[in-house]
Order: sequence, then structure tokens, then C-alpha cells
Amino acid sequence: MANGSLFLFVQTGEPVFADMEISIIAEPLFSIAGFTVTNSLFLAVVVSILGLSAVFLSVRPKRFTSVPKGAQNVIEAIFEGLLSFMENITQDHKQAIQFFPLVATIFLFVLFSNWSGLLPGAGTIGIHEMHDGKAMFIPIMRSPSADLNMTVALSLISVFSVQFFGILALGLRGYASKFFVAPWKAPYVVGTAVGLLELVGEGAKVLSFSFRLFGNVFAGEVLLTVMLSLVPYLVPLPFLIMELFVGLVQAGIFSLLTIVFLKMATATHEAH
Amino acid sequence: MEILKQIGIDGKLLLAQGVNFLVLLFLLHRFAYKPMLEFLEKRSAKIEEGLKNAEEATKRLDDATRNEEKILSDAREEARKIVNETRESSEKRGRELVAEFEKKAGQIVEEARERATEEREKLFREAKEEIADLVIATTEKVIRERLDSGNDRQVVSRFLADK
Repeated sequence: MANGSLFLFVQTGEPVFADMEISIIAEPLFSIAGFTVTNSLFLAVVVSILGLSAVFLSVRPKRFTSVPKGAQNVIEAIFEGLLSFMENITQDHKQAIQFFPLVATIFLFVLFSNWSGLLPGAGTIGIHEMHDGKAMFIPIMRSPSADLNMTVALSLISVFSVQFFGILALGLRGYASKFFVAPWKAPYVVGTAVGLLELVGEGAKVLSFSFRLFGNVFAGEVLLTVMLSLVPYLVPLPFLIMELFVGLVQAGIFSLLTIVFLKMATATHEAH
Repeated sequence: MEILKQIGIDGKLLLAQGVNFLVLLFLLHRFAYKPMLEFLEKRSAKIEEGLKNAEEATKRLDDATRNEEKILSDAREEARKIVNETRESSEKRGRELVAEFEKKAGQIVEEARERATEEREKLFREAKEEIADLVIATTEKVIRERLDSGNDRQVVSRFLADK
């Protein structure tokens, strides 16, 4: 399954070998000092650098005037839109500002990671290489979101941040009391069981975060590859538009869930 | 662990992706989010202050207008009061003066009448005496020839007193 070729059946019923390899594992591109860089990691770094440059070129508060003009309006609208959205969820201006960097970065990084896989050439421009005695096609660009390493890393960061902010807001004891409830106290054994379930839930968050994002983006890439090999013109266009939308939605879901979990973790036990 | 390898999870790559994201987060936070949020915060504080100032100014203006109206109406009231007082006192004074003059005029008339009466009586008295003298003289002249000069004067006086 890992590196299997895809067989397609067209209407004749004869198996047609499409010359494409869709691997759920990111392919290694090159290695630096024994460290193998995959195409997904490569694109993640490229997206980060391009994104940073774009942000640094456009967001320049030192040069901004009190009365916004031109591009400053757009930048301010984006910032204020994101911030007021977070304020709506947290119902707290200070918390919104506290969570802003993490959530905004997740949103932007996931969004552009998702969309980077839709660029022309992603998955199609590559090199043929002999690998384990087999001829392999290795695309140079692969959406970082279509690699479990990226989605798992991001989920871990998100979930650990949730724990961190939870402890920061409630203290270690207060936060731990969400998960460890003594069986001889208020809701008794039920409370204890629910607490432990919540602890398991925190771990499950990592899985659901990472597989949701990976699954959606990877499935989209498979779908587009298949559509392109079946009918190369026009027909894949609606699917491409749909994948743009899916990329936006997944970025929104990832960041939205992160801020919701952050809010839940920092709320006191009685409040939720 | 075999399953992790099969789905492509690799410790080093995982770490690399995580580091990539954290560096991105740090740089964005340090050079974009923080200054930008501070900028926006500062400006909204400024706008809020400006609005508050404007509100206060409006309130003060209202107060001033109200004050002005109050002062004006007070002044009008005062003026009316002064005018009324003046009119009243002048009317009173006028009445007093008229009464005084009337009284004085009455006195003068009274005096004049008294004097006239006196004068008349005096004249009357003098005339009486003169007439008496004249009558006596005349009567004397007339009767001298016939009467004794002892009784005639008494007789004439009696005539005059009887009238």
C-alpha cells in the first residue's frame, strides 16, 4: 500500500496503468549531512519563507499611519477580523491577544500548505530515480499537509499549547483537577471516570487533528491526480476549486478547534 | 512502531516540521503580530480617548448653554422686578405729592378766605364807625338847630344799633 501504483479502470474494463505513484509517505528529495529532506518538508520550508517575506513586506506597523491608507487598510482588516473572531470565541480581549499568535500562525501556515499542493507542478514536476532497485518518480513539491509528519507535529504543538495555557491560567493543581477527580468527592466515581476519559480525549485530539488534516488534503491530491489522468482539460477544474475551498475549510477547522480547546482549557471547571 | 513507519512518521522529520512551524511562529510573533497588535491597540485607545474628550466637550457646551440661559432668565427677572419696584415707588411718591399739594392748596385757600373775612369785617366795622360819624355829623348839622346837644348822640346811636 505504501508505495503501490494505482490502477484505474476505464469503461472498457481493461486495467489501464496510469503512470503515477501516489504514496502516503513523503518522498525523500535529498539529504544534508545524513538528514533526509523530503519533498513535503522542502515545500513546508519554502512556504514558510515565502509567507514570512510576504508578511514582512506588507505588515510594517512602524511605517503605518494612524489614518490607514491603501494596503494598510487590507492588513488592518485581516488583523482586526481575526482578532474580533477570536474575541467572539473567547469572550475576552486579553485572551484573544494571548492566543492570537499561535492560532493565526496555524491558520496561515495550514492554509498556504494546503494550497501549495494545488499549484501547477506540485506532484507533477519531479525526478525519476532508482530507489531500491525500482524506478520511481519523485515530485519535487508535495503539500506539507499531505504528510503525516507535518500534521502530527502541528497537532502536538497545538495540544501541548492547550495544556500549557491551561496550566498558565489555572495553575498546575487547578488544571490537573480537571482530569483527576477523587472518587470520594462530589460527582464521586462518575467524576473520576469522566476525568480520566477527558485525559484520554486530550491524546485523541492529537490523532483527530492530524488525521483530519492529512486525510482531507491527501484525498484531495489523489482525487485531483486521478481526475487529471482521466480527463486532462476542464473537467478537473471544479475539483480544483473545491480543493481550494477544502484547504480553506481545513485551515479554519484546525485553528478554530485550537482556540476552542484553548478556551476550554483555561475556563474553570465550574464554568464549562 | 512499525505502523508509524508504515504511515511515514519519522522522528527526525516530525521534529523538523515542528521546528519549522515554531520558527515561523516566533518570527511572525516577534516581527509582525506583536508590533501590529500594539499599533492597533494604541490607536483604538487613542480613538476611545478622543471620543471621550468629544463627549465631555459636548457635555460642557451643554452645561454652558444651560448656564447662559439661566443667567439670562435671572437677569430678565431681575430687570422686571426693578422696573416694577421703580414704577410702584414712583406712583406712590406721585400720589403722596399730589396729596401734599392738595393739602397745601386747601390751607392756602382757607387762609385766604379767613383773611378776606377778617378784612371784610374790619372794613365793615370801620365803615360802620365812619357812617356813624358821618350820620352824627350830618344829623348834628341838621338837628343842631332844634335839639339839645346832650341827647342827640345817644339817640342816633340807638337808631343805628336797632337798625
